[in-house]
Parts: sequence; C-alpha cells; structure tokens
Amino acid sequence: MKTDEVVIRVGGAAGDGVQSAGLIIAKAFSRSGLHANTYNYYQSIIRGGQSWYQIRASDRKVRSQGDNVNVMIALNKDSLERHTSPTINEGGASPIGKDGLVIYDQSISDFRKGDCQYCALPLSEIAARHGKNALMKNTVAIGAAMASIGINFEVLASVIRDQFGNKGTAAEENVKAAKEGYDHYLQNFKKLNVTLKTSSKKFYLISGGESLALGAVNAGMKMYVAYPMTPASSALHYLAEHEKDFKIFVKIPEDEISAVNMAIGANYAGVRAMTGSSGGGFSLMVEALGMSGMMEVPLVIYESQRAGPSTGLPTKTEQGDLNLVIGASQGDFPRIVLAPRNVEDAFYCTREAFNLAEKYQVPVIVMSDLYVAEHYETVEKFDLNFKIERGKIASPGSENYRRYEYTSDGISFRALPGTAELMHNEDSDEHNEYGDVVSDAVTDPTLRVESMKKRMRKLDGYIREMPPTPTYRYDDAEIAIIQWGGTQGVVEEAVDALREKGIRVGLIEINRVYPLNPDIGKLLHGKKQIIVVENNYSGQMNRLLRSEFLVKTDLVTKFDGESFYPRALTEEIETIIKR
Amino acid sequence: MVTIADYKGKVKPDWCPGCGNFAQLSAISAALVDLGIEPKDSVVVSGIGCSSNLPEFINLYGFHGLHGRSLPVASAIKWANSKLTVLAYGGDGDGFFEGTQHFYHTAKRNVDITYIVSDNQVFGLTTGQASPTSQLGMKTKSTPEGNIEKPLNPLTIALTAGATFVARAFSGDALNLREVIKKGITHKGFSFIDVFSPCVTYNKINTYDFFRQRVYKPVTDTKDFDKAYKLAQEWGDKIPIGVLYDVDEKTYEDYDPVISSAPLIDQPPIKLTAEALAEFL
Repeated sequence: MKTDEVVIRVGGAAGDGVQSAGLIIAKAFSRSGLHANTYNYYQSIIRGGQSWYQIRASDRKVRSQGDNVNVMIALNKDSLERHTSPTINEGGASPIGKDGLVIYDQSISDFRKGDCQYCALPLSEIAARHGKNALMKNTVAIGAAMASIGINFEVLASVIRDQFGNKGTAAEENVKAAKEGYDHYLQNFKKLNVTLKTSSKKFYLISGGESLALGAVNAGMKMYVAYPMTPASSALHYLAEHEKDFKIFVKIPEDEISAVNMAIGANYAGVRAMTGSSGGGFSLMVEALGMSGMMEVPLVIYESQRAGPSTGLPTKTEQGDLNLVIGASQGDFPRIVLAPRNVEDAFYCTREAFNLAEKYQVPVIVMSDLYVAEHYETVEKFDLNFKIERGKIASPGSENYRRYEYTSDGISFRALPGTAELMHNEDSDEHNEYGDVVSDAVTDPTLRVESMKKRMRKLDGYIREMPPTPTYRYDDAEIAIIQWGGTQGVVEEAVDALREKGIRVGLIEINRVYPLNPDIGKLLHGKKQIIVVENNYSGQMNRLLRSEFLVKTDLVTKFDGESFYPRALTEEIETIIKR
Repeated sequence: MVTIADYKGKVKPDWCPGCGNFAQLSAISAALVDLGIEPKDSVVVSGIGCSSNLPEFINLYGFHGLHGRSLPVASAIKWANSKLTVLAYGGDGDGFFEGTQHFYHTAKRNVDITYIVSDNQVFGLTTGQASPTSQLGMKTKSTPEGNIEKPLNPLTIALTAGATFVARAFSGDALNLREVIKKGITHKGFSFIDVFSPCVTYNKINTYDFFRQRVYKPVTDTKDFDKAYKLAQEWGDKIPIGVLYDVDEKTYEDYDPVISSAPLIDQPPIKLTAEALAEFL
C-alpha cells in the first residue's frame, strides 16, 4: 500500500449529502496544498438509491480516482455492506480491504462484516449535541476521517465555514460537530499509516464543466444558450450563477434546436455564443450544425457525452458519441472537433474553440464526457492571458464585397449586420461568392464545385497550424498506447505502472479528434504494437485511426458507464501485450 | 435619405406571376423606407419555403436559414445587437408546423422583433400539400380525398401565447399591408402579422377573390384582449384584417440584466482575473 497518498470513499443514498461531504473533504485536501482527484458514482434519482463519492489525494499529482480505499465513510447500512464486500459490483471500484477502515454510526448493527477495520462512532449523538440538522452527522464523520489521516483541523474548519455560509449558527454548529468527531476519533482509534506531505501551495478545486465555462469566458463569449441535460448542465449552472459578474447572456430556450439556432444567430451578428448539451440534445442540433458549415457562420457547441444509446445512462460516463459528432448532418462541410483530456484542458480547448470558429468560420465542437464535466480536480494554475482573434471581419466600404469570396485559404470576410454598404444574403442553399443562391432558378454545376472546394479547403489551413499531438513517456516507447479525451489521467497511470514492470509503452493523447493531426501517423510508424483505449463498445476512435493511418491496432474498451480504474486497465493492457 | 431603390435586390424574385409574396416584398421595403430605417440596419431572417426565399430578393442583411427556425435566429440577432431592426419571415408550413414551438415561445418572451407570415394555406415549394392552415376538406396532393384536419388559427395562438401585437393583412390590399407592417415594426415587443397571401398555383379555394369578398377592417379597441380574441376567431363570410391587438409591455430585453444595459455587441468581453477564480481556492 502506498503511504504517500490517501483514498476516501463516502457512501449513502441520494439525499444523504454524499456529494457535499465528498466535496468538503476534497477541498480540505486542496487547501492543505495537496493534489486531489474525485469520482462521483450516482444515479438519476433525487432521493434513495445508492451513491458514493471517492476522493484521492497526495503531494504527487493524482490523475484518477485510484484503487485502494483507505477510509470509507458509510452513511447507511447498505453502503457499509456493499463497499466491504469482496464481490463489490461498482464498475471496477475495489472494496475496502484489510488495510482500510470504515467510519459509521454506532446505531447501525447486524451488518455483514468484511475484512477491514470498523470504527463505530456516535455520529448522530454528537451531531444532536450541536444542532438540529440530522445531516450534521456527516460533518462529524468527516471530522473523524480527517483525524484518521492527520489533516489539520483548522483547514477543515475553514472549509466547513465556507460551505455553510461563513456566518450564522449553521457554520459554527458544523465546525463544533466536526471537532468533536475529530477528537473522538483520536481518543478512541489509531491513526492510519499514511504520511501526506501538506504544503502551502494554492490549488483550485474545480470541475470540468466549470473549467470549460471559464475557458469560454476567457475567450470573450457573451452568450450561452442551452437546454438542460446532464452532464452538460454543470457549465450552464456555473454561467447562470455568474451571469452578471461575467456580463454574459445566459438562456434556456424551448429546445436544443432553438438553442443552436440562437447561438448561430448571435455569432452571425458578431457576438461570441455557445450552446451545449449531451448526445440527445446534440442530436437535435444536427441540421443546424450543417447550416453553420454551409453559411460559414462561426459556432461553438459543447457536447458532453453520457452513456447512450437514447436516454441511456443519464448519470454515467462514456465516449460513445464520436461517430455522431464527426458524422452529424448531411453533406460534406468542414468542422473541427476538440476533446479535452482533463479538467484543466477543458479550459484551454474551449477558449481555443472560439478563435478557431471565427478564424475558419466553421462549427467547432468541444466534446467532453460526464467524467470530465462532473468530477473535481485540483488545478495549480490557469493562464488567463489570451488573445481573442476574431478572424476576417469586413469594414464598411470594402469594394466589390463578396461574402463568400473564393480565396486561396477558403476564408472570406464576414460583414456583420449593421455594417454600411455590405448588405448581402447568407444562405443555407448553395450559393455563389456573393451569397446569391445557385440552387434554384439558376443551377450552376461549376459554381457548386468552386463553393464546395472553397469551404473544404479551410481545413487545410487548420491542419497545417495544428500543434504537435501531445504524448507521454513516448520517446523510447516500443509499444504505442492511444487514448482520446477524458481518459488521459488513468491511462497515464497505467503507462507508469507498465513502465515499472519494464514494459516500454508510451502514450499518444488525442485532444484534437477531428480532423486528426497527420503527425499521429509518424508517431505510430515502426511501433511493435498499437493499443487503443476508449470508453465505448465498438472502438469508435480505433476505427477512425485505422482508416486514417492504415494501421493494425488492438483495442481496450469499457462501456459499463464507469471510468477505467488504473490497476484493471494496466492488467488488461499487459494481457494484450503478452498475448 | 433612404429610398425604395436602396432596398431593391439585385436578384429578381422567382415566385409565380401573381404570387401574394410580391406584395409583401414591396410592403416590407416600403415600410422600412417610410420609417427611415437604413438597409444596413435591417435584418430579415427566413426559414424554407417559397416565401422564405425573400431575403435573396431584397437589399439588406438577409439570413435564409432552416425550415421552421427563423425565430430563434432572429431573437438572438436582436439580443446580440438591439440596434438592428429584425424581421422574421416565412410561410404557414414553416411557421406553424416545424416552427410552432418557436412561434409560441417567442411570442411568450415578447422579444422585440416582427414576425410576418405569408399565409397561403398550402405548401408551395414542395408542390402543393396540405399545410397547417389548409381548410377542412381541401383537396391537395397529400389529401386527395380532402383535408381531414381542422386548420390552426395563428392569431388565437399568438394571443394565447402572450404576443403584444397581433395583426392580419391581405396581399390584395397593399396599402393596408404596408401600414400594418409599419405598425408592427414600430411596436416595442413581439409583433405578429399573418398575411393572407393567395397561392395562384396550388390553392384554388383561398384566392384573391375569396378574400376580397370577405375581408373588412373592424373598428376596435386594440388594447382589449377579449375583443381581439373574438375578432381573431371570425371566419366565414366576414374576416377581419388590420391590427387586432396592440399593448405595451416590457420586452424580454428590458428584463434581462445583461442586455438591458447596452447592446451585447457593444459590451466588451470582461477581463478574466484571478479574483474570479478565488471561489475555487
């Protein structure tokens, strides 16, 4: 067992305050100058069911939810039994082992015992001494858990005070309850054998949805229109809450079709706008996506994947929308698809998406997933310096103005409504350089070909200007692993574990999923084996890589709605290599 | 000074000779001229259909988008740049079939745009199928035995949804059409104008003569919702045209904390600072 990191799991029913408890713990780590990574296992239910929240922390960077649980806070009998059972069936999560301890209320009795240490505390009794809210027993348990791993109580107290509004009786009641839990643990139980090197480093504890929204703000987004859908809603909630601070117009319209058409309308008028949804909502936006491509109106769509098909698993993660996103809408038109690899990357991908959309006058889709959108991670720094590049925008009086001029790079000047002398029509019908329709009264096959080529060659410029594809421990790699989007952290950990076993693997990390960077072909050249890892059934990226680069690959998938876990993933890759 | 020549498009309309859309193209241009609005400050957003081709034939900022989707585009253009005069334009199939939810909700929001529907009670561009306003019993390509669906009443829908300006006009009465459109554009809030626009090719029932024999201009109190609703339901030997309802209410833009202060396009992006991130520490 590693002694320089800790994993805590909080389990209970929806409505028990599992997530709030988990976030308090994560923030206590973050404020202790530790890296933290969280994982949220929940269902589409407001009360009941069973959910849990896992928090991993270390002075090292922790890139996934981890495997070995040190401390479990069980808020009900079900979670107490479920997480200590060796036959645990939670999508790859391991049970609390014999090194782990479980904190629970002493009133829970007659439960099935597992092979771990049980720490029964009078959680409810202590809570009742400090206030009327029954959920305060969670705070008592958090106090005990923090004592078990030696986190400074004052750090925890500051987090609790912030969480409960800093003033009023609730905050102080909770601090007192936590302190009694903390002291009770120290008086009655042994501390765990872990040494967390706390520091004065400042970390942001932030979710992918929030990070993505901040990236959009940093890029000068002025309008966010979206219909609510998990897991895209975390960005919507954050932006709506800060509408006035950021001076951003935030709106829920009647449906996703309206949302995407609004985003297109605003971009057409010269205001940076984005819409967002999950796969279901994105499916409704498909026709308008093609309109953005045809009319060359810049557009940014945030597509946050959850496990499909159809309504699927609303609260579970997957990377099953790649085929949808790169293939959506009739006809050929240029589009750019980005897929942030982690919470921090969501910030940078999104702000770049706005520049790309206006520079190339194309739709840009930022594809993320539930895992990235909803889990919290510590981020050390956000570089807030960003140059907003609006691309080619015409000034009044440009002579012989042609909205869709056949330029060598395919990009022509947009004239925003309100600009003198440059009135013109933008059309979803095929059109000539002036925007005049060539599909109805006058059909002109030659102009059709020119207009298609003009639009499509915009991607040539983008491909030329793409930065190199990111890699991890790749320089001396004999075997290439490939991941895309939000699986980066856990796959990097698997690479580290395989390297420790002397297997020379290296990782290609794809966050520009369409078009693919041609440099990937060069990176793959001469490798003994290529293994693609993705969170879906059919290996959608695997197929794309095979068709783009004509390579032979092996595939590791997971489609049970949960993320990969480092140990299981390492074993699976190793099996393929040794096969 | 703006003249009618300024709005003349370089592409000649390809509608059938006698189509009701011609009168609307002229009336829209004339109304904008009468109001002194320059082409550079005018936007027409349309959907798909014969009438929706209008932005190709007029010199202003035209946006010829998707079937049924003119209103969300038009709303967002207004929200992005409230200095613009924004019109949405399309047919009855476009607006009252695929676009119904946008019609209802845009009216409810009271967005300050003008929505003109060229209502010919049939699908034209797809060569003559029954539309949402086709009369009961009407024989079309899609209803060879006669239409068995009652026609939808766009006026009562607009009133029910909360539109603050509801009017009806007739392509056969160009002067009145122009005046109604002017009032609609001047109205602060969502203005809806349903225009009888005979389709000379596919609708042999609702012809110019049909409407000439029936339309009349009632004298009414346009602030009175009940009277407006009653007039909106009149159909038969007498059909009212003109402004039926016109009230002042706050618009969506008035309520919105961000847009109400200044046009969005004139508000520079905020500079994101470390303070904004402090809540995550």
